[in-house]
Amino acid sequence: MRYQQNLAWSVLLRLFHWSFALSVVVLVTTGFYIHFPWTNTMLEGGRSFPVATMFYIHFIAAFVFTAALLARLYLLLFGNRQERFWDFLPITPKNIVNLFKTIANYLYISDKYDRRLGHNTLAGIFYLVTFILGLVQVLSGFYMLYPENVVWQTWGLRLLGPMQQARYLHYLIMWYFIFFAFVHLYIVVWSDIWHKEGLISSIVNGRKYTPDKS
Amino acid sequence: MSRHDFGNEVNNMRVDRRTFIKGCTMAAAALGLSETMVPKLVAAATSAQRPPVVWLHFQECTGCTESLLRASHPDIGRLILDIISLDYHETVMAAAGHQAEQVLQETINKYNGKFICVVEGGIPTKDGGIYCKIGGRTAVDILADVAPKAAAVIAIGTCASFGGIQAAKPNPTGAVGVRDLVKGTPIINIPGCPPNPISFLGTVLHYLTFKRLPRTDQLGRPLFAYGREIHDQCERRAHFDEGRFVEQFGDEAHRQGFCLYKVGCKGPGTFSNCPAVRFNGVGAWPVGVGHGCVGCTEPEFWDTMTPFYERLPGVTIPGGGEGIVTGATSVGMKILGVTAAAVGIHAAVGIGKRVVKCKKCNKTPDEQE
Ligand code: HEM
Ligand code: HEM
Ligand code: SF4
Ligand code: SF4
Repeated sequence: MRYQQNLAWSVLLRLFHWSFALSVVVLVTTGFYIHFPWTNTMLEGGRSFPVATMFYIHFIAAFVFTAALLARLYLLLFGNRQERFWDFLPITPKNIVNLFKTIANYLYISDKYDRRLGHNTLAGIFYLVTFILGLVQVLSGFYMLYPENVVWQTWGLRLLGPMQQARYLHYLIMWYFIFFAFVHLYIVVWSDIWHKEGLISSIVNGRKYTPDKS
Repeated sequence: MSRHDFGNEVNNMRVDRRTFIKGCTMAAAALGLSETMVPKLVAAATSAQRPPVVWLHFQECTGCTESLLRASHPDIGRLILDIISLDYHETVMAAAGHQAEQVLQETINKYNGKFICVVEGGIPTKDGGIYCKIGGRTAVDILADVAPKAAAVIAIGTCASFGGIQAAKPNPTGAVGVRDLVKGTPIINIPGCPPNPISFLGTVLHYLTFKRLPRTDQLGRPLFAYGREIHDQCERRAHFDEGRFVEQFGDEAHRQGFCLYKVGCKGPGTFSNCPAVRFNGVGAWPVGVGHGCVGCTEPEFWDTMTPFYERLPGVTIPGGGEGIVTGATSVGMKILGVTAAAVGIHAAVGIGKRVVKCKKCNKTPDEQE
């Protein structure tokens, strides 16, 4: 069988993906530690500052995470065809049909896979939810990071409530990100095996393969 | 004004001069004013025209008044009583019954637009406000009568500021804070359960000296007292950064004075000057004596800061009623467990399907179209 090679993802999107993925791994790891610092130094006179260091790493990763989200926001509006929100959200008849076909395919009900160059609609919805919860993490995070800043205080209070409420949300959403990373990895590997479009390498080199019907 | 002049005036006051100056100095320090401002504060505090104050009690425990006027800080209490003219205050006034109500009406009419209204306690709004009545009138009515005539309203304590304990879920009486009902009159919130008397004194002195209320944060709390997180001023912070934690009350780490984060301290997320100003004139504050902060100056603290000895509230299980609450971590773990099981089944079905279908061929299902 012959395959056709098409460019799906721009360099910026691939950069977004990997800075986002790496920062999430770091944020979840350090966030877990911040929530429950399981080490206990006990010894006085040490100079290791484990908690302060974890916070520091969390904040650096947080800035990478925020920058990645901003880059994705730009691409949602001005990226290539596959990267714009129009292409993968259930807002066009074509995408809605794709959503049902994809679900049927994922559940092994149908063998047909509705191929597309960009994301399928099911994945698209999942990514949008992740994007929005990412924004909530940014808001709650900066609200806690700069407690004395008027802007973060105003918006944090208005959208999330008192700071302890924001902290609680921030923690719960960490679990969403763990869940997402887990399911995402499984589906990506699964899809790479079943659909043979070179999905995993596409997020590295930007190219996807489609069976050449001609 | 020379030092000699105000010295004389102060001598006429009911508290002795030393105490008076000391109180004003403490307030100046709390306000972040330089020492040179102390004479100005004293001058304002001793001016002939003491501002009339109407003190309203609604759904409360009188703890704010108690801590202000009694505690082991009688000097501050008396100082406040000397600075203001407390015309109506149910706990300390001599008048009672109709006489008291008459005093209230006279005061608010005589000093219309000039008096300070202090509110202590939450205000119930459900069922026409019948859950708190004084002299036959509901708290809502009394507040609506008094507050618009006041020059400013000071909500003292978390109840008057944000509703407090009676506003905790499920808030049976529909209790709210002053800011939810009063519009048009400047309001300042001095939350705390109870608040530090110095924060109240500082606010009053600031008002008398500068003729306006101090700058506030987004929740209407004066920045001089509520501008920074407890966690950022705490003397145990070095232990936090170093990762030295109390695991259990009474353990070795607790005796060593380590950080109380893991036993539920809400210092991160609570705004107050407790670590700096402390209480009762003996230099003590909760974290200093080994108990975590419970976040008493924050809105909804009875809901969001509980359980007091855990980091975060538990998750209420939907459909399980109010009764089923478990830790957020265990909920997260369970969801991940279910996901792992689902993924396992999905993968197994896929492999099974492939084995069955592709016995005949070695193509993937996708290619059989
Ligand atoms: C080694 C691990 C990973 C691999 C191989 C991988 C692979 C991929 C692939 C192939 C896609 C495109 C899928 C499609 O077309 O629908 C994708 C998209 C995406 N991945 Fe990953 N991923 C990994 C880790 C992560 C992690 C840890 C996260 C964050 C929690 C993440 C977040 C995303 C997001 C948000 C998208 C959507 C991109 C967009 O906005 O267009 N990925 N990933
Ligand atoms: C996927 C993204 C993120 C995850 C999973 C995450 C996770 C966490 C977790 C679990 C905690 C501990 C919460 C607790 O138990 O108190 C935490 C704390 C914190 N995070 Fe994040 N975080 C993320 C993004 C961010 C961002 C973008 C910022 C922005 C600056 C941020 C700032 C903070 C701050 C300031 C704290 C400290 C809270 C405190 O004072 O106790 N986080 N994070
Ligand atoms: S005791 Fe509480 S306020 Fe003090 S450093 Fe520890 S967590 Fe922060
Ligand atoms: S330490 Fe915390 S709980 Fe205690 S009085 Fe201060 S703000 Fe309230």
